[in-house]
Amino acid sequence: MENKKPLIEVKELSKSFGSLEVLKSVSVDIMQGEKVVIVGASGSGKSTLLRCLNCLEDPTGGAVIFEDENIADPKVDINVHRQKMGMVFQQFNLFNNKTVLQNITLAPVMLRKRKLRQEKIRHFFRKGEKPTLTKEQILEEENGKAMKLLARIGLEDKANVYPSTLSGGQKQRIAIVRALAMNPKVMLFDEPTSALDPEMVGEVLDLMKQLANEGMTMVIVTHEMGFAREVADRVLFMDGGVIAEQGTPEEVFGNPKSERLKAFLAKVL
Amino acid sequence: MKELWTRFSKAFIVQDRWKMYLEGLGNTLLIALIAAAIGIAIGVCMAMIKYINKKTGKLKVLAKICNFYITIVRGTPVVLQLMILYFVVFAFWDNGIMIGAITFGMNSGAYVAEIARSGFESVDDGQMEAGRSLGLSTWQTMRSVIIPQAVRNCLPPLFNEFIMLVKETAIVGYVGIYDLGKIPGLIQSRTFDYLFPLLIAAVLYLIVVLALTKVLHMIEKRLAKSDRNGGGVTNGK
Repeated sequence: MENKKPLIEVKELSKSFGSLEVLKSVSVDIMQGEKVVIVGASGSGKSTLLRCLNCLEDPTGGAVIFEDENIADPKVDINVHRQKMGMVFQQFNLFNNKTVLQNITLAPVMLRKRKLRQEKIRHFFRKGEKPTLTKEQILEEENGKAMKLLARIGLEDKANVYPSTLSGGQKQRIAIVRALAMNPKVMLFDEPTSALDPEMVGEVLDLMKQLANEGMTMVIVTHEMGFAREVADRVLFMDGGVIAEQGTPEEVFGNPKSERLKAFLAKVL
Repeated sequence: MKELWTRFSKAFIVQDRWKMYLEGLGNTLLIALIAAAIGIAIGVCMAMIKYINKKTGKLKVLAKICNFYITIVRGTPVVLQLMILYFVVFAFWDNGIMIGAITFGMNSGAYVAEIARSGFESVDDGQMEAGRSLGLSTWQTMRSVIIPQAVRNCLPPLFNEFIMLVKETAIVGYVGIYDLGKIPGLIQSRTFDYLFPLLIAAVLYLIVVLALTKVLHMIEKRLAKSDRNGGGVTNGK
């Protein structure tokens, strides 16, 4: 990475739950287009670090700079920034009361409709242009986009079913395209394959590899070391709330320096 | 036999007394319906405040007020609440039915709040996180994802609360409102016979409650069916 500005700058980030200090002054830069894989034992703070990147956990100290704004600041409208940061969860978290198609279109349609209402009000008071799109056009556009995304993962035929009828692998792939529907600048993955049956891990990892090849910036917490080796530009090893070691996959997996990392790798490889 | 028939006839047929029962039943249902509406409005608002407070730490003062309200209402007899509202708060107002409905609405609100809160809490935390991670606000996520699932989850206990209301409102007779529970007393004061008026009122209550229970079972069946067909709230996780 040459001297480009990082997409996300984490500065001395700390997070405590009560008296339990989970993150201890973590600093890391995530570059545009970079694939960062975070590994570490459970309880090392890797998921918390990821969840602090879009402030799903409010950091107790430090800063997360995204697009020149410190999104850890409670005064910042976090919702605007989250729209550009897709997140994929271990438990998929598809909306159970919505069909697959609605799962994908819910957020974009809702947010665009809200913007449309605001534009209409501004136009009414002659402070802005007349909105060019109608509600129906927005819905049609987003539905079309969602169907394309579903076609990409080969699940168009599932557009109108509810999530409870799907397999874990299908759910997770839909969760990924749901995040993609917001056109995010970065995708955060929180152990995306940990809740899957072994035979379904592959289809999810394949989709993630596709995204990686398309140049998406990705931050991934995972236990899939093979995947990390293949996809990561950089691997962070977390231990005890700090980044204990980092480097290219070759450096981290091939030539671990600290004893902790050696012990960890001995267990998982 | 003949004597029993005369007693029944005096309690039900003579002077069109059956109309009194129907009028009483009407009042009972009216009070229960208005009370249910008020109760659901109060209860759902309080449940939402408590849920948002628990999940985000916001609305602290409002949540405290809700807890205070629930404690007071659930910790005192409804008869006293009725008398306080009837004889003190609304002393200037002579619409007993409305006062009864308001009392039971406020009372039921505290119970509905707990039902609705458990409904909200039965929705997986991941649902809110997913909504927020997409850039929706807490309220937008509540509206489109959490509330629909919560309503489904607590429809049966809510309906059950309504059935309870129908029976419980019988104590409005205490302050002289002519609901179904009050009618036997009125008739007895003319015929000097309690047996049939009480039996008739009891049977009428029973019919209404059984009918409502039937509706409740239908709702439960519907929900279970749409669960199987994939409209389910739980996904086995």
